[in-house]
Amino acid sequence: MIALPSIAFGGFSGSAKGVTARQVGGRSILSVKAWPTGQTTSAQVARRASMSKITKSWKLLTPSQMLGWDHLAEHTSGQSVFGQAAQISGLNLYVRLNVNRTMAGESILSDAPEQLVALPNVSYTALWVTPKNIVIKGIAHEAGYKLVIKMSAGQSAGVSNAWSKTVILSPGMEDDWGDADMTYLYFKTIGVKPVVGEKVFLEMYWLDPVTGFAGQTAYDSKVCESEADAEAEGYVKRNKITMNDIKADSHVSECDVDFSTGSPVISFDTVCLGHSNVASSEAYLEDELPSDCVGTSMALARGMGEGNACFAAQSYIIWLRNSSWDGSSITFAHRGGYYVKPTEVFGPGILY
Amino acid sequence: MFNSTGNNFGAGTIQFKDYQADNYVVLNAKFSYDPTNAAYQAANVLEIYVPDLSIDRSAVAGVILTFQDRYVYSSYTWNNDGGTAIKSWIKDKNTICLEKFTNFDDKGEITIFIQALYPMLNQPGNPIKGTRTRINMTQETRYLYWSSDTFCVIFEHWVFLHMQFSSCSYSYRNQPWEAQMGDFPTDVNADVPFLGGSNQYNPSVNGYSLAHVENGVFTCQERMSGFDSTGYDPFIFAFLVRDGE
Repeated sequence: MIALPSIAFGGFSGSAKGVTARQVGGRSILSVKAWPTGQTTSAQVARRASMSKITKSWKLLTPSQMLGWDHLAEHTSGQSVFGQAAQISGLNLYVRLNVNRTMAGESILSDAPEQLVALPNVSYTALWVTPKNIVIKGIAHEAGYKLVIKMSAGQSAGVSNAWSKTVILSPGMEDDWGDADMTYLYFKTIGVKPVVGEKVFLEMYWLDPVTGFAGQTAYDSKVCESEADAEAEGYVKRNKITMNDIKADSHVSECDVDFSTGSPVISFDTVCLGHSNVASSEAYLEDELPSDCVGTSMALARGMGEGNACFAAQSYIIWLRNSSWDGSSITFAHRGGYYVKPTEVFGPGILY
Repeated sequence: MFNSTGNNFGAGTIQFKDYQADNYVVLNAKFSYDPTNAAYQAANVLEIYVPDLSIDRSAVAGVILTFQDRYVYSSYTWNNDGGTAIKSWIKDKNTICLEKFTNFDDKGEITIFIQALYPMLNQPGNPIKGTRTRINMTQETRYLYWSSDTFCVIFEHWVFLHMQFSSCSYSYRNQPWEAQMGDFPTDVNADVPFLGGSNQYNPSVNGYSLAHVENGVFTCQERMSGFDSTGYDPFIFAFLVRDGE
């Protein structure tokens, strides 16, 4: 005979078929076994392994460290259900915060943080989803915190709630001057880009990598639209060149050429590999450069620690051009100092 | 012009020349620190604290780190002064950060030249194009020769300067140098690091020599010992604040 537990008859505990009843902090909790709805991502596998490792590491703490976590937990409440705040144990708090920390690339924290940390909500202006670009714009920068961003695969436009289907795209990133360009991470994690008419669900929150505390989650969703429709609605693509915008036969291993300065310089952060025994490197572009970004620039550079003069400072002249004959490209040509490769061309380059 | 309010690496007060726009700042400063200082050794990133800047953070810029390294023989000093570029950025309205580059901490005092433009990113509009002006380097007796990439880009409050040495007449190679900088603004007054030359005792970097620009005149009293080695083309790269109104 199967005895189904009931909230009305508090005190039941145990599992029956897919339902589990338990008593926590004087509350009866009924839970239905959850089954994954999608394919497990590598990030999920890593997170589960990390959680197991963190849980086991609790036993290695000293009694005073455990007491520290218990004391902090007394002032921390878990997710509220039916208006009743749940209590959380020292162990649970230890696991929660350390899962967050390891997700952000930090080591496991043995000593409990000295106090609770109240994180700000994520403030942003717009989520743009097109088949080519998935970008969160206008994020109010919060120094010292990292953004955790979760998104779902494209759903039917009629679906109103699919936040349970989101997966972590970024376990902790800084906004890029108010932008979070998720295009590459979305494709890398989800595997397919959204198509016009599909709805994508978003969750994001700030994470304090020092303590592991997380802020309130912001929920949003957006129906994927064409690039033209997005632009008509006010979407403006940031004018920068990254590795996603250059062809495979280029001679750079890292590329971030940012034109969005609004000042007389371009911002460079590019690793030049050199080629064919000439002191220059080409980045061949997939698309044309905007006409007002065509010109010449001059920037500072430094070798990257290999061979003779490995940290030599250098100057590079940079030609930005559109050619009807051989396409658009950015050429980084060595000028001053001893030429070494690889070299990092970085910082502002005057444009003329 | 303003003074720093402090730093975390044991340097004294640092004086800055500045031009501050809404979306970028140009800063000039020259200062030294002692790498044996306990505050320096405890720091992961060097921070200079300053009064409110016009921008609250910046992208990375490049500044120049230099050191002296000289070997005295009976009648000759072998000059192996060196330098390289390090990264610098504005962390917040009151903090300028410098990459901690420790490779030359055993050389004694380190001198930093901040002659940088710190831009903001994700700003409205594309970059503003300047005009390249070739600097017409002249001397009564010509003994200095410069690359065609010796030029400046002039703005109302600051100027970008790039100079690249080509060669020097043999008889002048150990003399103090002086040359007129035709078409370069006369309201710029700055010591500028001249990076280049083979550095025998510090082969991981170029040599470093000190030059000076003032009233449209370029001077360089002495050069490091490998200054004119082939392939080590000495150059100057600087964003310089003008002293005009």
